[in-house]
Amino acid sequence: MRKYNVDLVYGIYDDEEKLLQAIRKAKSQHLDIFDVYTPFPVHGMEKALGLSESRLHIAGFVYGALGTLTAFLGMTWIFTKDWPIIFGGKPYWSVPAFIPITFELTVLFAAWGMTITFYTICGLWPGVKNPQIDLRTTDDKFCLAFDMTAVNESVAKSLLAESGAEEINTKTI
Amino acid sequence: MNTEHIQLPISDKIILSVLGIIGLISLIYIGANDDLGHTRLWTNILHNSVFFTLIALMAIFFICVSVTAYAGWNVVFRRIWDGMSHFLLFGILLMGLIAIGIYFGWHNLYHWADPQTAATDPVIKGKSSFLNKNFYTFGGLGFLVVWFFFAKKMRDLSIDEDDHGDNRFAHYKSMKFYAALFLPIAGFSSAAAIWLWIMSIDPHWYSTMFAWYSSASCFVSMIALTILLLIYLKSRGYYHAVNMEHFHDLGKFMFAFSVFWTYLWFDQYMLIWYGNVGEETVYFKTRIREYPILFYGNLVINFVLPFLILLRNDTKRKYGTLILVGLLVFIGHWVDLFQMIKPGALHTSIELGSHQAGSAAQALSEHSTEAAHGSHGAGFNIGYSIPGIPEIGLMLGFLALFIGTTLHFLSKAPLTPKRDPFLEESLHHHV
Repeated sequence: MRKYNVDLVYGIYDDEEKLLQAIRKAKSQHLDIFDVYTPFPVHGMEKALGLSESRLHIAGFVYGALGTLTAFLGMTWIFTKDWPIIFGGKPYWSVPAFIPITFELTVLFAAWGMTITFYTICGLWPGVKNPQIDLRTTDDKFCLAFDMTAVNESVAKSLLAESGAEEINTKTI
Repeated sequence: MNTEHIQLPISDKIILSVLGIIGLISLIYIGANDDLGHTRLWTNILHNSVFFTLIALMAIFFICVSVTAYAGWNVVFRRIWDGMSHFLLFGILLMGLIAIGIYFGWHNLYHWADPQTAATDPVIKGKSSFLNKNFYTFGGLGFLVVWFFFAKKMRDLSIDEDDHGDNRFAHYKSMKFYAALFLPIAGFSSAAAIWLWIMSIDPHWYSTMFAWYSSASCFVSMIALTILLLIYLKSRGYYHAVNMEHFHDLGKFMFAFSVFWTYLWFDQYMLIWYGNVGEETVYFKTRIREYPILFYGNLVINFVLPFLILLRNDTKRKYGTLILVGLLVFIGHWVDLFQMIKPGALHTSIELGSHQAGSAAQALSEHSTEAAHGSHGAGFNIGYSIPGIPEIGLMLGFLALFIGTTLHFLSKAPLTPKRDPFLEESLHHHV
């Protein structure tokens, strides 16, 4: 979960390669990176930042399996116990006819479940305020930010300058 | 060691030759222990010929898809597919052999090829403008020649580009032209070839899903063979540039097309089950009643196992799981084709045997009707309702021929195209 009211020192880059180099350098100097902002997903970023693998897909599998069971057992109950109707001379429990809906509910549960889980983890509920560090990171600039309470400001600034940042600013968000 | 051209150790060549000899022995064994109509022998030859020929077609098809779609990730090992596609040469020979057999009555594979049936049976008579000996021979072989022309063209252009390519990319542009031309041709002709070679074994039955379904089968097998061959070549010190990123994408293709195959398999079944039309349901009735293990096993081995194993990200990036699933789906789709071909051919041979009294298939007829109708408890008829050891031996022989052809053509040129415009992208591929 994001914490706010932090004093940040950040650098703006115009190229993702420079950004990746800067991240690697910061990692090798054991500087604690507050966050990185990019306008698009950058290849190799997770590895450079040392992020662990997302566990969202495990949740996705569980939601999918839940959808499969809901659809299949639901239809089984409806068509054999609750309201048995003969369709086209087929038996009440017609497995092939259940498969398309089972598939659809699997996809639906997995997609919605993962979306809701992802938003919840990220704290992106409706009405959330999401202060931008620099609006240009939504267009064509890349930003690397350090928390000034966690790292030495001058060390951070010199790292940003050496790694080719276009601008170095401070901001409280 | 020169890693640009392959020079395989002698022991591996011996293993390939041994597999080839096993295939030959199996062929002789099946031929010697067969009924007089040689149904088992010819269904096995047809089964393996069609299977490996279509794998070769899928290889050239996928090259053309990649070139047309600007998919550069596979350039580094694309020569493997070039090699595989040249098995079409043997495809021409093998399908030619079967076509000659139709004229000379060497086999009873196709009910429509029997002149008496073609004249009297109204359904077969209605299809006779498509299902006849001449179209089978010249149509089928014509498709193969066209496919081989494109396979050769793509490989020649790629090899010529190594030495004579320049910054104007004339070779690449030419490859794009031929690739784009091949896609619609392959799309229509592969369907017609599959109707001729496989679906016409059950000439009264038809399914509009069938061509897709068997193409998907062969596509998955092609990807599986590519993965296995690449892992093998890497273990022998070649293809250093091929890394887990490439395997990850191949794994994704194997996963995705296993699911695609299942979709077609199930759709074909469900539409026929829903429609409940007698001449359509007979196809599944035969298979579910007389081939239950193959029919349901097919779904487990080609869908459930690859789906559950390859679902996770990291299983597509490990040799162990890739080899396991590659072997599973390769065998699985081979068995899939087995159950597409055997029941219909067996039925044809019984039918023809019964009205050609005293002739070839008489012995088989008695033998197998007994097995078919008494299958509850009477056990299986090896070679007809389940693949026996000689069937697997013959498959290994064909596999050796296929791998041998691939490696032969692979060894004739550098392993990696040198001047393909997408080579750099392929070398830096990142999933």
